[in-house]
Amino acid sequence: MYQLVKDFLNGLWNENPTFRMIIGMCPTLAVTTAAMNGIAMGLAATFVLVFSSLLISLLRNFIPAKVRIPCYIIVIATFVTVVDLFMAGYFPAMYRILGLFIPLIVVNCIIMARAEAFASKVTPIRAIADALGMGIGFTWAITLIGAVRELMGSGTVFGYHVLGENATRWVIMLLPPGAFLTMGILLGIMNVITRKSVKNTQCH
Amino acid sequence: MNQYARMIVVLLIFSVLSGVVLAFSYEIAIPKIQEQAQKDLEASIKNVLPGTTRYEQVEKEGMTFYIGLDDQGNKKGIAFKATGQGFGGPIEMMVGYDPKEGKLTGLQILSMAETPGLGAKIQEPAFTDQFKGKSVTDPFVPKEDVKVITGATISPAGVANGIKIALDKVTKIYPVGGDY
Repeated sequence: MYQLVKDFLNGLWNENPTFRMIIGMCPTLAVTTAAMNGIAMGLAATFVLVFSSLLISLLRNFIPAKVRIPCYIIVIATFVTVVDLFMAGYFPAMYRILGLFIPLIVVNCIIMARAEAFASKVTPIRAIADALGMGIGFTWAITLIGAVRELMGSGTVFGYHVLGENATRWVIMLLPPGAFLTMGILLGIMNVITRKSVKNTQCH
Repeated sequence: MNQYARMIVVLLIFSVLSGVVLAFSYEIAIPKIQEQAQKDLEASIKNVLPGTTRYEQVEKEGMTFYIGLDDQGNKKGIAFKATGQGFGGPIEMMVGYDPKEGKLTGLQILSMAETPGLGAKIQEPAFTDQFKGKSVTDPFVPKEDVKVITGATISPAGVANGIKIALDKVTKIYPVGGDY
């Protein structure tokens, strides 16, 4: 049980895919123009991550090492396509928000990375705990980036006006350079926080 | 079985299973997706032609028109699809047109791939509502008679251009003031 909690918490901070491992940068930089996009992309990726990790963990003894990557790609791509089809047919309201992001999940390397580095080596239950942690870690990270960019670029957060109607809008924050600026500054802040906490433990 | 044969067999099994799963999912989901597309089409026609409760489909000179009718069978206007070239690809839209008045009655973006948070704002009422009641003889020039969006000039221009090009054809088929 302790191990499961540890696997879950790992993705939230210590090995946060966005701020610690710096993987999955393509969707992170591309879709974070608004906080809502971050939540939508994050949840869709978490969903696929949990199920692909489970499947790959279940099949880990069956897949020969030399062809494991093509096998993972087949599993992930199939899963994403099935999610895409069923969501379009049965949950059109959700599809309208997430539809744009679902095909992007195929190329989200967090899913490949977790399949390769974790799910293929552990029991299914641990793989799920890790996938949930990584997914939620990814979700909060890109939602935060989205919120910062939306606040500075549009003056809103989650569509609500925060800065007032007449505040100056930094359009650059909504354009690609804004993604790099925000990512870099948040990463720096994360590093400062982590370094401090390490120093403290050494003092005691 | 040696390891090479095993590799081939495993990959083959994965591919075949994936194909089967995809084929079944497609078969199950596609009627629902088409049904949804039909519903969306109907909703967009009702949206751009206020007061419409049903519609008739008419094919004329290679274009499809949806004539909106209310409960009493009165014609409320004509809806048609227009396509403009946006920043991220084509922008498909449904346009409502009232030939009697020579005015647009509404605009809805059906599909587009514009930048989220910038060009994608063309689908918000803040942008589309400006076309309600707009005369079809207007020039449809961005920044002159069409309001644009800060940070995105190409997307609104694509919308305005797409409507103008389609209107040039449509007003020849259904002239202003004429019967339809």
